[in-house]
Amino acid sequence: MTRRTVFLMGVAGLAGCYRPGGQRLNVFNWPEYVAPDTIPNFEREFGVRVRYGTYESLEEMLARVMTGNSGWDVAFPANYFIGPMRHLDLLAPLDHRRIPNLKNLDAPYQRPHWDPELQTCVPYMWGATGIVYQASLRPEPVAWADLWEARFRNRLTMLDDPAEVIDAALLKLGYPMNSEDPRQLAAAKREAEAQKPLLRAYVSEIVRDQLVAGELLASQLWRTTAMRAMEAAPDRLRFVYPKEGFPIYADNLVILRESKRQELAHAFINYIMRPAVAAKISETKLEATCNAAARAVSREDIRNHPILYPEEATMARAQWFEPLSGTGQRLRDRIWTEIKSS
Amino acid sequence: MTRLRWWCLSPAGLLLGLLFLVPLGIVARYSFLTRGPYGGVELPYSLENYKLLADPLYLAIFVRSIGYAGLATALCVAAGFPLALFIARSGRRRSLYLALVVVPFWTSFLVRTYAWMFLLRDTGLINTALLRMGLIGEPLQLLYTPFAVILGLVYGFLPFMILPIYATLERLDPALVEAAADLGARPMDTLFRVIVPLASPGILAGSLLVFISCLGSYLTPDLLGGGKTIMIGNLVQNQFTAARDWPFGAALSLVLMATILLLLLPLLRRKEGLL
Repeated sequence: MTRRTVFLMGVAGLAGCYRPGGQRLNVFNWPEYVAPDTIPNFEREFGVRVRYGTYESLEEMLARVMTGNSGWDVAFPANYFIGPMRHLDLLAPLDHRRIPNLKNLDAPYQRPHWDPELQTCVPYMWGATGIVYQASLRPEPVAWADLWEARFRNRLTMLDDPAEVIDAALLKLGYPMNSEDPRQLAAAKREAEAQKPLLRAYVSEIVRDQLVAGELLASQLWRTTAMRAMEAAPDRLRFVYPKEGFPIYADNLVILRESKRQELAHAFINYIMRPAVAAKISETKLEATCNAAARAVSREDIRNHPILYPEEATMARAQWFEPLSGTGQRLRDRIWTEIKSS
Repeated sequence: MTRLRWWCLSPAGLLLGLLFLVPLGIVARYSFLTRGPYGGVELPYSLENYKLLADPLYLAIFVRSIGYAGLATALCVAAGFPLALFIARSGRRRSLYLALVVVPFWTSFLVRTYAWMFLLRDTGLINTALLRMGLIGEPLQLLYTPFAVILGLVYGFLPFMILPIYATLERLDPALVEAAADLGARPMDTLFRVIVPLASPGILAGSLLVFISCLGSYLTPDLLGGGKTIMIGNLVQNQFTAARDWPFGAALSLVLMATILLLLLPLLRRKEGLL
């Protein structure tokens, strides 16, 4: 085979990638934040193509769409990004007549505090942060304060995320999450610095395997990652919502103002809001849906999972992540740098 | 002939001009602007971001990063020079060995770093082997230590040291080595008084490549160091993500570049022809 044939084969291969006909919807989301068949089924049913692009952080997503000509149509910002994105005029108004499936939303998400009229967003799934630990531990950890105990020395991790670490320390101290008060933040910093010698690492999703392997006794972790770890080691790992309170957040479907495919984008949101579609996503991602009709048709073990859908007494301790002011953000970054340098 | 020479410059010149100088100009401009409330930059121009840098907290991070990068570079020389010498003297096997040095580049750096995590873990290959052999009673903590960071840096950038050293050694005239031996130099003398000085341009070039790459790295300290220390790379990354402070991040990167230049200037000066 000559070099030229190889080249020509490559060209033919490229041509094979091109599928004629139909519009293309550009969906910007976390990696694999839908079920495997969600996108293909949508493409088939609506006769369109979907470009599914991913981001590694919400800040990255915002930086990319901030220009107003990023080429994306639909994105999935968290609740604390809705305010800033509206402020920057990045979100298109939603036409509720084109999203009849809005009625499927769970009651609290019909009027979320970050957009009570659902003018620009539709809640998708919601998550939380808590503690995963080895079931054999006695006593079992129940509070953030327990993660300051010497028995965890070197076998404990916290998330590599400034908001999570600082907020856990604030909650331990009985202060509100999202605080921008310099005195409270200084106290939280001292707590985090006191805890650091006990920590094996500040680490996020990749900690899962080490929990499953039993290398770690406890970790601060996002619920969705915790659910995966527990799926791999069902009897050995447990999850607890700390008693001082815990953070929750909700991701939302939005249409970008720049989108030239508003109609198709609405159709996509309405499609995602179908009970069967949303249920499949929730089952695949092991995450709680904001869609009541979807929850109702979910698999039994997911529908009434005590961790995915905790009882009201537990939810009363939940606090939403909120957007921070510029000064608050800068102060928190400085504190985070100090914690990491200590 | 002169015209041809200028044409030769144009591809690289265009690439560097468009893809390096222009972005660098943007970074420079950002560093004098004010942070937008949700990321981005806003007017007015100010020196605020550079003033922030005077803080001992950030100074300490610079010093620590330079220390890490310096140690990793020294270890790369220690491991890379003998290997380059071995390859240069391997006759017809040379290309095979060189290919082996380059093979790791076939997979992404991220994947290889993950592989190290699997090796270094408590239940990883190294600890399991040592435990089975009865050499240790409980797993050594290897992962998430400064040791792991240095190891990851040396591993990741060693080829950048080997290749330039090899290039100088390959061109080294064997007659010079023979002459040294004929004139009574013992092998160690020949090595340190003939081969090393002749290879020094390669060692210098390799050291520059490794040192600069280490100084800017942020993946390795995060993944292998467990995020317990912060290097300049991580600090810059945080400014563009969680802290949403682009101007400060831009100022940090420019100061990092200036630091590198200042550190290397005397080195480059001494080597005539490089500057």
